[in-house]
Amino acid sequence: MADNSVAAYSNLSGSANVPSNIPDLGINSYTVINALLVLALAYVAARIAVFLLTALSERVYEHRITVKMTIPIAKFIIYGFALYHIAGSVFQLSAVQLVAFWGIAGAAIGFGLKDRVAEIVGGIVIVLDKPYQVGDKVTIEDYYGEVRDIGIRATRLVTPDDNLVSVSNQQALNQILANANAGSQEMMVVIDLFIDSSSDASRAMEILRDATVTSRYVYISDKRPVTILLKDYPFYRRVRSKAYVYDLRDEFPFETDVTKRAWDAFEAEGIEPPKAGVVDLGGGSAIDS
Amino acid sequence: MTPRFEEEISLIKKVIVDFGEGRRSNLAIISDPFYGESELMDRVEGMIEDVCIRINAQSLIQSLEILKDSPGKIVIVEEAHRLYRRTIGGFDAMNRFLNMLLFSDRLFITTWNSASWRYLDEVLGLGRHFPQKVSLSKMKTDEIREMLLSGYEEGELTFLEGERGDEEKRKILKWAGRKKALMGHSLEIPYPMVDVGSIRSRLDRSEKKSPDEVFFEKLARISDGNPGVAELLWKEALDYPEVRNALKDPPSIDLSREESFALSIVLSMGSAKLAYLSDVLEPLGISAQNIANLLEERGLVSIDGEVASMRAEALKSALEHLRRLRLVW
Repeated sequence: MADNSVAAYSNLSGSANVPSNIPDLGINSYTVINALLVLALAYVAARIAVFLLTALSERVYEHRITVKMTIPIAKFIIYGFALYHIAGSVFQLSAVQLVAFWGIAGAAIGFGLKDRVAEIVGGIVIVLDKPYQVGDKVTIEDYYGEVRDIGIRATRLVTPDDNLVSVSNQQALNQILANANAGSQEMMVVIDLFIDSSSDASRAMEILRDATVTSRYVYISDKRPVTILLKDYPFYRRVRSKAYVYDLRDEFPFETDVTKRAWDAFEAEGIEPPKAGVVDLGGGSAIDS
Repeated sequence: MTPRFEEEISLIKKVIVDFGEGRRSNLAIISDPFYGESELMDRVEGMIEDVCIRINAQSLIQSLEILKDSPGKIVIVEEAHRLYRRTIGGFDAMNRFLNMLLFSDRLFITTWNSASWRYLDEVLGLGRHFPQKVSLSKMKTDEIREMLLSGYEEGELTFLEGERGDEEKRKILKWAGRKKALMGHSLEIPYPMVDVGSIRSRLDRSEKKSPDEVFFEKLARISDGNPGVAELLWKEALDYPEVRNALKDPPSIDLSREESFALSIVLSMGSAKLAYLSDVLEPLGISAQNIANLLEERGLVSIDGEVASMRAEALKSALEHLRRLRLVW
C-alpha cells in the first residue's frame, strides 16, 4: 500500500511525465527580473527623453510645438523597443511560443485588460492621427487646458487653474474635441468687452484695436490679422477683439493686458460698462462672430 | 573703393525723375539702426537741394503745419517711425501723416527703422502708402574690408592673431546644468552642449587663413553685415598700426518678456527718451527707469542723459533674441 502511494506521488511530482500541450515559455525568476529591469530602464530612458526634448523645445522657442510633438513618439518607440526586447531577447520566444504568448495575452485582454489595451491603441492613434499634440490647447470633456503629455495610457492636460487632468486616450478619441491651435505655435484669443448702449461704440472699437495691436503678446501677420467686431444687444453692446498670441501660453496674460488697458482708456473717455444685470453671460453660440 | 549705396541712389534717382514726369511714388528706405541712412539722405539732399525740404519726423509729431508752409516739392522725412508710439492713441500722428500723403502732390522720401516698418506694415498697412521700398542691404566681408581699409596703404596695418588661440582651447562639448525639482529637492541635472564658436574656430584654422582674413570674416559675422556696427568694432580693434583680433561673439541674451519688450521698443526706435519709454511701459506696470538701467547693465543699451540707445555691438544678438520671441517680426 505504502509503495503504491509513493509511486503515485512520484508520478505527480515528475512534471516531465505529465503530458502537456502548453509550450514552455521559459519564464523563471531570472527572466522576470530581467524583464522588469528592461522596463525600468525603458521608464528611465523615456523620462530622460522627455526631459531633454522639453529642454530643447524651450531653447528653439519658435519650433517649440514641433519639438514637443516628438515626445509621445519617442516614448512609444522606447517602450515598443523594450517590449520587443523582452519578447525576443529575455524570454527568447520562438515563433510557436510567440503564438502561444499572444493567445494567452489575447485571452487576458478579452477578460480583463480590454480597456487598458484600448487606451494604448488610443495613444498610438493619437500619435499617428494627431487630433492634438503635446503643447496644444484643447477642450476634452468640458476640461480646457494645455496638453502636457500623451502617455501610453492617458493624455494629461493642465487647466488654467493648474489642475492636472488625466483623460484616458480611448476616452479622448471618443469625445468631441476642440483644439484651439491645432499644432500651431500661435493661437487666436477672443476678448469681449461690454459697454453701455449710450457710449460711443466707434471710439470703443478704436481703443480696443489700439489696446490689442500694442500688446506685448500680440502677433500679427497676413494670415493672423486683428479683427474688431461690434454686436448690438437690447441694452448693451459687445466689442470683440480677435487676435493671435505668438505663444499660446500667453493667452491669459494677453487677455488681461488688453482688457485692463482698454478699460483704463474707456474710463478716461467716458465709455461706460452696461447697467448692472442686463448682460447675459450665457455665452455666444457656435455661429457667433 | 566702390561708393556705398549705388543701387539705392539709382533707384532714388529713378523715383525723382518719374516724379518730374508726373508719376508720383512715395519712397520708403528701410534699415536696421547704424546702417548709415543719414549718410544716404545727405547724398540725396545734395542731388535735389533746390526742390526739397529735409525734416526729422520728431518735429512732425505735434503738427504737420510745418510741411504745409514749406516750399519744397520733394520732402525727405527722416526717422518716420518716430511718428508712432506703442500705446493706445499712439498712432494718431502716424495716421495724420499717412492721410496727408494721400492728398499731397509732393514726393515723400522717408527713412524707417526696419523693426518699426514691419510692425506698422501689419498694423496700419504702411506698404500701401509707399509703392517704392528699398531695404539697405547687408555688406559682404569683402565690402566691409574695402570700406575699412580704404584710408590705409597696403601693408600699413599689422593684423595680430589675438585671442584665436583661446577660442581653440575651448572644448567642443561642454556640460551645462539645469535645475529640476524632484521630491521636494532641487537637483542640477547636467546635459551636454555643443560650443559652436569652438567648432567654427577649428574649421577656420583647418582652412589656414591669414590673420586679416580671419579678422574680417569674424567682423562681418559679428556685425551681421551692418556697416555702422562694423565701423564701431573696427575702431575698438584698431591700435594703430596694429589690429587686435579681440572680437568677441555677443553673449546670448536672457531677459524676461517685459525686459525683452522694453528692449524691442528701444530697438524699433534706435534710441528712445526715457519719457517715451515711460509712456509705453508705465501702463503695463513696468518702471522704465529700472528696466533701462537693467538693459544698460546687460550691455544692450547705453543711457546718455535722458536717452536710451541701442548699443551697436549688441544689435545682432538683440535682433536674434527678439525675433525668436517674435517681439520683432
